[in-house]
Amino acid sequence: MTSSSQLLIPLHVRYIQSLGEDDLTYHLTAHLRMNAVYWGLTALCIMDHKDALSKDETIEYVMSCWVDEAGAFGPHPDHDPHLLPTLSAIQILVIHDALDRIDVPRVTKFILSLQQPSGVFAGDQFGEIDTRFLYSAVNALSLLDQLHQLDVEKTVSYIKQCKNFDGGFGAVIGAESHAAQVWVCTAALAILDRLDVIDQDTLAWWLAERQLPNGGLNGRPQKLEDVCYSFWVLSSLSVLRKVSWIDADKLTSFILSAQDTENGGIADRPGDLPDVFHTIFGVAGLSLLGYPGLVDIDPVYCMPANLIESKGLRKGWEALPRKAS
Amino acid sequence: MPDIAGDGPEEQPLFSERPDWTDVTPVPQYEGYNPIAPIFYTPQYYFRGIVKTNEKSERVLELTEAIIRLNPAHYSAWQYRYHTLLAIKAPLDAELKLMDSLAVQFLKTYQVWHHRRLILTAIYSPPPSNASGLNDPTATTSSSAKSKPSPESQAAARTELAFITRVLMVDAKNYHTWSYRQWLLAFFDDVHLWEGELGFVERLLEEDVRNNSAWHHRFFVVFGRGQLQGEEDRVAVLKRELSYTKDQIALAPNNASAWNYLRGILERTGTSFSNLRSFVEPYTKTHEDRLGDEEILDLENPAPSAEAELPCVAALEFLADIYEKDAVSKSVEIWKRLANELDTMRKKYWEYRIKEALKDVPVQS
Repeated sequence: MTSSSQLLIPLHVRYIQSLGEDDLTYHLTAHLRMNAVYWGLTALCIMDHKDALSKDETIEYVMSCWVDEAGAFGPHPDHDPHLLPTLSAIQILVIHDALDRIDVPRVTKFILSLQQPSGVFAGDQFGEIDTRFLYSAVNALSLLDQLHQLDVEKTVSYIKQCKNFDGGFGAVIGAESHAAQVWVCTAALAILDRLDVIDQDTLAWWLAERQLPNGGLNGRPQKLEDVCYSFWVLSSLSVLRKVSWIDADKLTSFILSAQDTENGGIADRPGDLPDVFHTIFGVAGLSLLGYPGLVDIDPVYCMPANLIESKGLRKGWEALPRKAS
Repeated sequence: MPDIAGDGPEEQPLFSERPDWTDVTPVPQYEGYNPIAPIFYTPQYYFRGIVKTNEKSERVLELTEAIIRLNPAHYSAWQYRYHTLLAIKAPLDAELKLMDSLAVQFLKTYQVWHHRRLILTAIYSPPPSNASGLNDPTATTSSSAKSKPSPESQAAARTELAFITRVLMVDAKNYHTWSYRQWLLAFFDDVHLWEGELGFVERLLEEDVRNNSAWHHRFFVVFGRGQLQGEEDRVAVLKRELSYTKDQIALAPNNASAWNYLRGILERTGTSFSNLRSFVEPYTKTHEDRLGDEEILDLENPAPSAEAELPCVAALEFLADIYEKDAVSKSVEIWKRLANELDTMRKKYWEYRIKEALKDVPVQS
């Protein structure tokens, strides 16, 4: 067993390339296949191996998920359209500089149609509402350069009402503060230039409090650590320019110890089975911590930073400086 | 009607082997390769066949249930099931009962809770009293006249609350379950239901005083819903909440949720943190240091128990915040101790507090 005090990039690249081969779990997760492709591709970008998956095959797959009646994307061919795979599809196409493949007016219409009177977004016609969908809509419209079509006041007012007594945000008005929901609300506010809604010092402190003695981060007080919070918490702190409030060395060790040193990939915590979700968020967390050899990630969009910057969408976030080695 | 509850997919004949399904053309899923486990795919192929013909029938319920059991996050199956239930006018209370029996398996999935919301809304639509807007995306913020809830809807609400309580016994911090409970309370908006919530939260905190979800729910019930009947005396309410929170801190001082709650209620009511100074101070000392203190039994300020881990970091943070107003050098002393000794993980945060506080100190001439 090789040492896990380093990020085993070649191993993780091979792990991502081999996803789907004879893996039963892969078959049972068709409903989030588009998300998984985006997670895998972004992880490859951050590890500077963007070309490890075929660009043409990826684009072909994305377009095969287009649901023409709806003007949106499903997670897999013949699946119903939904906001989450629509965002992932857009992100993938942006990464591959293939946004021209999208019918922008129709997708914009689909996204805007999901906004509720209260300002939150539903994920699809099933009607489930969540600030995750609000973020997905804001992110997608921003990448499509259609943010001017959004009722920003209404959108921001919903997020405002989600603010809890501890400074955090939940999935809907009244829901408990949770790091993943904090991230979607913070990132949405960053895109809309409304960070004034946040009690920044209080929230940043709440986020710093997520770090446990073992160096890992949890999502709410008195819950277990999980590698994915390395992204949700860290990127929120990045936006609030307080990444230094986390003990970077301890978190780095924690993420590295959750690697599968035989087959590649990163798990939610040391000893568990890896998956592509925890792989991207572990790698993204390391990137924000300045881990050497990684590419910068934009914490607002969870996409390569230089790409977001080239589109003129970079906001005022701060990550730790990249270490030389 | 086959007994579906309890039968796993391995024990059921494949849909392709069943005579009552021969009329449906299964639609294979697009794959670039051969799926290795066709048995798992058969229900989904038949599902797409049903969707293409827009069939809404009893057997669709059987099919969607099979899919959901294999993959509870398959939101298309849930959606189609819901529309089928309505189209064939299936008994919705039976659907709820079926969902009850599958709940513990699926409780970590968003869709199972959303389906419940839809079913309840379908049964009691329009809501028995005007839902106040919480978790209800289409409600406006203005309040409307509340109609008296019927005995049936009251009973249903209680049954639902009991169901949620059972689920919380299995997973006391399940995010979707708590969110659903909030939705349910707002949907029925029955004053008697709200009244029971404090007792409910206290039972859960007796089980686990560190349950952050329960503390959050307490805040929601006491402060988040506007005034409850019988809670008009906000001074009395604050007194009660402070007393309760202090007692829980005395039981287990190193409990972030209780301290966050304390801060929350003080901020919400505009109460100065310094009012809590006599309570907090004993928690900032070691047991040895406290030996010199007089042991006065102060019911308003319960002291830390002999087993408590002292000093309590959260108490020190709180005391530093009290001092920040008019004795900032004392705050700095505490923050230095936290940065260098007691909470080194967040060293940079404590250094930030020191820097910010000293910024405002006028330079001595």
